[in-house]
Amino acid sequence: MKKTIQIPLGSQHISLLEPIRFKFECENERIIGVDADVGFVHRGVELACTRSFEFKQVGYVVARVCGLCAITHSLSYTLAVEKLLGYVANDRIKYLRMLMVELDRIHSHMLCLAHTAENAGFEALFMQIMGDRELVMEVQEAISGNRVQFDYISIGGVNRDLTSDLCDLIRKNLTILSEKMEILTGLFDNNWSLSLKYKGVGVLSLEDAYTYNALGPLARASGLATDVRAETSDFPYEALGYTMILESTGDIHARNFVRLREIVNSITMCQNIVDNLPIGEIQEKVKGKPKGEDIIRIEAPRGELFYLVRGNGTNMLERVRIKTPTFSGIPAMMEVFKGSQYADAPAILASFDPCMSCTAK
Amino acid sequence: MFKSILEAFKNLFKPVRTINYPAQEITLPSGYRGLIEHDHEACIYCDKCEKVCPPGAILFFQKESGDKEYRYNPWLCIYCGECVRACPKPQEALWQSETKQQSGVKEDSANEGWFVWEEACKKSRETYAVAKKTPKSKIKSEEPLCVS
Ligand code: SF4
Ligand code: SF4
Repeated sequence: MKKTIQIPLGSQHISLLEPIRFKFECENERIIGVDADVGFVHRGVELACTRSFEFKQVGYVVARVCGLCAITHSLSYTLAVEKLLGYVANDRIKYLRMLMVELDRIHSHMLCLAHTAENAGFEALFMQIMGDRELVMEVQEAISGNRVQFDYISIGGVNRDLTSDLCDLIRKNLTILSEKMEILTGLFDNNWSLSLKYKGVGVLSLEDAYTYNALGPLARASGLATDVRAETSDFPYEALGYTMILESTGDIHARNFVRLREIVNSITMCQNIVDNLPIGEIQEKVKGKPKGEDIIRIEAPRGELFYLVRGNGTNMLERVRIKTPTFSGIPAMMEVFKGSQYADAPAILASFDPCMSCTAK
Repeated sequence: MFKSILEAFKNLFKPVRTINYPAQEITLPSGYRGLIEHDHEACIYCDKCEKVCPPGAILFFQKESGDKEYRYNPWLCIYCGECVRACPKPQEALWQSETKQQSGVKEDSANEGWFVWEEACKKSRETYAVAKKTPKSKIKSEEPLCVS
């Protein structure tokens, strides 16, 4: 007689923000096998980039791959094209781009923390974090002129400059936010009911993280030192106070803590950027058409984002390949589910911070 | 643990953090990226804005007299501002306002009307190109429907 039962999670489920389907093979309450299907929101972005849009417009198209890390997508694409065109941005442009990426990271991590809290049954904390997240959203809206679709980065620079009013707003909001982060960190650390749901649940060992190629906060929570920000030199991260955040236990609690501490680190970096903004043009002329092939890696909030761009010297590109962090992290995620309780699955899933519209694009 | 209970209790007496929209207005930050506006007088009709626009929200209808008519789809526009940056006379001929676009309703025929315009603009160019080559022949172009 068959001893296991299959329980699906998704594609529509109350704990999911986006459509993904897991098929859990369960033995009583314990999950022993996982099957995942991610392709529910395929939109054909990659093909559209090579068929319908010229290379100067593609930056605005790829920004629509994901609502949360729109900036990271357009930045990766722009950097790849700039590499092909042999253009290197000046320091001011680099700083401004970095500022937006780090702000993006802060609000994306906060969303994930809120969602993990919600899936662990702590609705009030979800509301509290989402409320605090508005501080960052406000800053981003003021800088870029739009709340979700920033359209801030274009080939050859950025579209808007920072005024002194904006700098004041950033300083003010980030100071309030860092105070709030202290309270939040205390809450995540000391709250007894949260620790029941988080500590020792959904563990990914360092060895597994290595074998299954985990990335982003998921890997860093297991102690695997991987961060594109430390590995590439496209941006002056070291100079602006970047530190690699590592935890060792690899459970949900550790992932939350990696995120919490990364937010604090990002806040410091943003403050440093605003205080040390170099003088220069924000938009420079870039001539030529992309020819050849190049790749770029950027640390998105969820891990490494990879872009391949191939051009043939015309306005239309030959190939745009996007590899998103969630997609690369799926094998590691499936590994984590094995051996845990079915009831914990929503919280574990939220702690991965999966982004399905990115993955299926 | 007791700290969070205390915090939760205190939260009961704090003011509400959400905005009571639409009864209460949402204030947009200054520099909000809104609708694109065009000035017929200042424009030199170089078509640069039409060419750079990612979704193709600006079109020019070619009249037989040689003039062009500016057409803009506020629902298709992504408010990126690329057209304003490409324009040789920014702020005079073309600029980005801070007005927020309202959602389209069926009467606006945001899609169907625009498709008709797109078709008409394309056709007007072709007819004009032909007419230019053979100046004496008289070709009549149809008047297209309006979007709004
Ligand atoms: S703002 Fe962007 S989308 Fe709108 S008309 Fe200008 S170029 Fe086109
Ligand atoms: S780019 Fe400016 S001047 Fe040229 S057609 Fe458009 S609005 Fe007119």
